[in-house]
Amino acid sequence: MIRSFWMNHIRVMKKRLLSILLCSAMVASLAVGCGSSGGSDTEEAEESSGEKTTLTFWCHENEPWIKSYEAMAEKFEAENPEYDVVVESYPMSVYMDKIQTALTDENGGPDIIALWGGMAAPFIASDALSAVPDDLAADMDEDFMEPTVGIYKKNGTYYGVPMEYNLEYGGMVVNKKLFEEAGLEYPQTWEELRAVSKQVAKVNGDVIEMGGFECIDGDALINNFLAMILQQGGNYIEEDGSVNFATEEGITALNELLSIVKDGECTLENLSAGEYCYNDVYQDKAFMSSVGTWAIGEGTDSYELTYGEDFEYVPVPQYGDEMAFTSESGWGLIVPANSANVDAAWDYVRFFTDPENLVEHNIACNQLPPRKSMLDNEEYLEAMSNIDFILDILPYGKWRGPYKASDMGSLFNQMFIELCQSENPDVEASLADVSQQITEQCSLGYTQD
Amino acid sequence: MKNNRFTAAVLIPGFLFMFIFAVFPVIYGIGISLFDYNPLNIQNTFLGLENYRRLIHDEVFWKAVKNTFFFCIVAVTGNIVITLFLAKIISVIPSEKLRTAFRTILFIPCIAPAVGTSMIWKYGIAATDGGLLNRFLGLFGMAPKNWFLTTMPMMIIIIVYTLWSDIGYNVVLFTAAIEGVPKEFEEAALIDGAGPVTCFLKIKLPLMGRTFAFVSIMTMANYFQMFAQFRVFAASGGKDNSVMVLTNYIYKTSFSSYDMGYASAIAAALFVIVFVVAMIQNRMMRSDWSYE
Repeated sequence: MIRSFWMNHIRVMKKRLLSILLCSAMVASLAVGCGSSGGSDTEEAEESSGEKTTLTFWCHENEPWIKSYEAMAEKFEAENPEYDVVVESYPMSVYMDKIQTALTDENGGPDIIALWGGMAAPFIASDALSAVPDDLAADMDEDFMEPTVGIYKKNGTYYGVPMEYNLEYGGMVVNKKLFEEAGLEYPQTWEELRAVSKQVAKVNGDVIEMGGFECIDGDALINNFLAMILQQGGNYIEEDGSVNFATEEGITALNELLSIVKDGECTLENLSAGEYCYNDVYQDKAFMSSVGTWAIGEGTDSYELTYGEDFEYVPVPQYGDEMAFTSESGWGLIVPANSANVDAAWDYVRFFTDPENLVEHNIACNQLPPRKSMLDNEEYLEAMSNIDFILDILPYGKWRGPYKASDMGSLFNQMFIELCQSENPDVEASLADVSQQITEQCSLGYTQD
Repeated sequence: MKNNRFTAAVLIPGFLFMFIFAVFPVIYGIGISLFDYNPLNIQNTFLGLENYRRLIHDEVFWKAVKNTFFFCIVAVTGNIVITLFLAKIISVIPSEKLRTAFRTILFIPCIAPAVGTSMIWKYGIAATDGGLLNRFLGLFGMAPKNWFLTTMPMMIIIIVYTLWSDIGYNVVLFTAAIEGVPKEFEEAALIDGAGPVTCFLKIKLPLMGRTFAFVSIMTMANYFQMFAQFRVFAASGGKDNSVMVLTNYIYKTSFSSYDMGYASAIAAALFVIVFVVAMIQNRMMRSDWSYE
């Protein structure tokens, strides 16, 4: 009887113990799943740095750029021993998602974020960023060139500081060996450019076997189109702020670009695949490709080509009578409003964008300087002597306008593809249609003043 | 009473999990769809049903609905026909080792990450320059084609990829179902003079009703939510949004346009579509029988 009682009691106890264990395991895994490790990491970082303030700097994965960011962090720490700057990098494919999540974190995420101007726009439109301090804002008004700051200004207040002048127009990579083998000189005028391009290009179906002047990719197409409008003395932003490409200059420019495809100098392959045309030049599949200076580094680093031997970077012959082009704000620095160290973060941005320091970063990253005062910087001119012609045209640049550059580009590219595939293209109607779509769908969501 | 307490203790954490990770996000998502929502804003404007009104007039949304249905109907039908055929072929292979080998080979693409295999198909098979498809056309003297600028062919390429990557799972299920049907039924049918095809279609297939219902409902629900291949092959929806599906449109609206309120409204519409389709399938394929 007693034995039976104890056996029963043990069985009940076992059941209870099992249920408690199961419940504990479930709740523990729930806690682990929902918990954040950020707090303990921060604490560990604080412990390891003693009384120092730790600033977290986020950037995307790009080897030479990360090295430059780390060098800047070390320089800052040497001059400001009370700070530790931790550089953290993420793949570009997840970078925006990481930033968005971090900006919604009540406990704070990174203190400083390096971000492309166009990508920063949705964050600037929200309440997630800290405003640039007055002294730095005054410096931006005075010394930074107009296209570099456009995107960062909302209702008269800046929310980011540019690190570079983004330029996708004005220069092209040329395959020096192909030019030498064909016994051709680099073209000096637009007419020469088209003549050389037609002469050397060869197309098989939808595939380019040898490209002439390649300017039909996601970046180059719209940048060349807008520059061609402005160079004819035209404009595409109306007084009420709406976009209008369906002007005489717009139609002429688009017809010129369409003829590049129709004449078989370039195909839609790169545009549809989201690739850059300059890759074809580096792979001996094209003679020339319109692209920014940043592509020089791709040639030397990624393709291991020799500048001056395999390829060169030369001016794109001007299309119109007067030099003009547009630019969207390039890479810059932003400080999240939820940063635990907003003031210190701005100190770091102030240090980073000081001309003396910024020049080192621009050289290391093959970037163009955003400040007017840096255009005649001897250190920069000496290090970047092969792109001095680009520095000469920078003051002629104009900000692209208060529209989301990537959405604007997507709509324009889609229209361009449709026109290329149409048997009877109505250029004016297509331009009017895409202008209306851009005006309605691509607004930044905030005004500058 | 004691048993009830034990059952409750075991089930409550499970329900808690389900509520936090399944039920709550659905309710929260529907809530978000009533706002002009951006998590980065301190205040989000309440729009009521405005996002749903916008859906009705959104051409891209209706195109995405049409494409999603087209993809699901063609791909699910293709999947079931091919997997049934392969499962039957495998089931008649006399060697157990060979049967296992075939099942394994067909199952391998299922365990490979969809993004990775999609990239291989995009750059290796469908690529304009040097892609396998264009090389094949070249054998017949045809010029290479840019498939990414096509509409229906691009959708077909994505469907073929999906079938390749996903048939292994259903083949395993159907093979098990075929092997699970008692041999007596087939033997009786054969004695009565039925051929192997009749025997399969009229005896085995009806007896596999439960597996068939499970496979078709799960595959349909799964295919409504296919995303990776569409994102890799045509992130912006392809030419004229011809391969834009609801999942990709939700992602694009949410993470490219940062219009999360509207994206939630699209997600709610997708939820309703999948729910209704699953209910209809469930009712149509209800089977109340046993082998005994």
